[in-house]
Amino acid sequence: MRYALLLLLTAPIVLMALLNIFTQYKIKRISKPRFFHQLILWLLISTLLVASFPVYNLLNGKPLLDSNALSLLDILQTTAIVYLVYIINNFRRKIEQNERTIRDLHQEVSINLSSRNGKG
Amino acid sequence: MKICIVIPAYNEESVIRDVVDDIKETFSSTKYFCEVVVVNDQSTDNTAENANNATVINHLINQGAGGATSTGLRYAELGKANWVITLDGDGQHKASDALSCLEQAIKVNADLLIGSRLLSKEGMSKVKVLGNRGLTLITYLLFGINVTDSQSGLRIFSQKAIDVLEWKSTGYDFCSEMLWRAKKANLNIAEYPIQAIYTDYSRSKGQSNWNAVNIVKSLVRRRIVEMFE
Repeated sequence: MRYALLLLLTAPIVLMALLNIFTQYKIKRISKPRFFHQLILWLLISTLLVASFPVYNLLNGKPLLDSNALSLLDILQTTAIVYLVYIINNFRRKIEQNERTIRDLHQEVSINLSSRNGKG
Repeated sequence: MKICIVIPAYNEESVIRDVVDDIKETFSSTKYFCEVVVVNDQSTDNTAENANNATVINHLINQGAGGATSTGLRYAELGKANWVITLDGDGQHKASDALSCLEQAIKVNADLLIGSRLLSKEGMSKVKVLGNRGLTLITYLLFGINVTDSQSGLRIFSQKAIDVLEWKSTGYDFCSEMLWRAKKANLNIAEYPIQAIYTDYSRSKGQSNWNAVNIVKSLVRRRIVEMFE
């Protein structure tokens, strides 16, 4: 069940990634070697995800696969991930603001330079 | 009444002069005081030189259609234009259609009027119709805006729209985002049928349907991001 859920959750991401690389390749944003590199990478990830259940069955009962309730380390890691998401979101916003400022600056400079050159 | 006609242009050296001349000729016999502005989006050819029959604003870096249109609107705002007309630099729009759209916008008191190629889709390839319909549907699903041709380059902006409208997208996704911003600002959005001229040149210059995937991705991202802002 957990593995079905894992596939269910990761399949859209993998599909999105595949769609993305196909699109980028079709509109010539990435080269052929880069396309194949990305394709192989995502197909490998898909294979690993699909194969995780049989591999689990194969290795079940082995000491390394034993799992307990969340440890302190797990909780710390989860907290760190949430925090990272928070930081990333903040950075994204700052980047967007800077992007906007640069765009406005570029706009004004372009208009002023064109006016100065007697064309505007 | 001062009209500013904005033409975002990227590598349009072979047609830009004719596009500007056509507009000037059409508007010269009207009561409007008209200035044609070509926003040269860092073209690598002679677009700027060939457009010397118009006011040329040269972008220092390539911004995309959204960025170039935004610069044109800013120029019009600084020049206190009453209306702005935007049209594509590839010659797919008739100057007479631009004039009809302007008169319609004035008549119905529209803040943003879209010249719709899909109300009379003569000459448009089925693939293009499909792509445009798809993006228009996405625009409706994401933003609740019901227009027939969200991606049309022929638009009329009132002075209110010039003052109020701002968008973040710099690429072609600005078309849908702009409509969304207009809706949020309670602007009066209208449509008017136009006929696009499809030549081999304008077909080659148009955006590919594959690019629509990028546009959709960008719009979805924009919609989600703005939910948290």
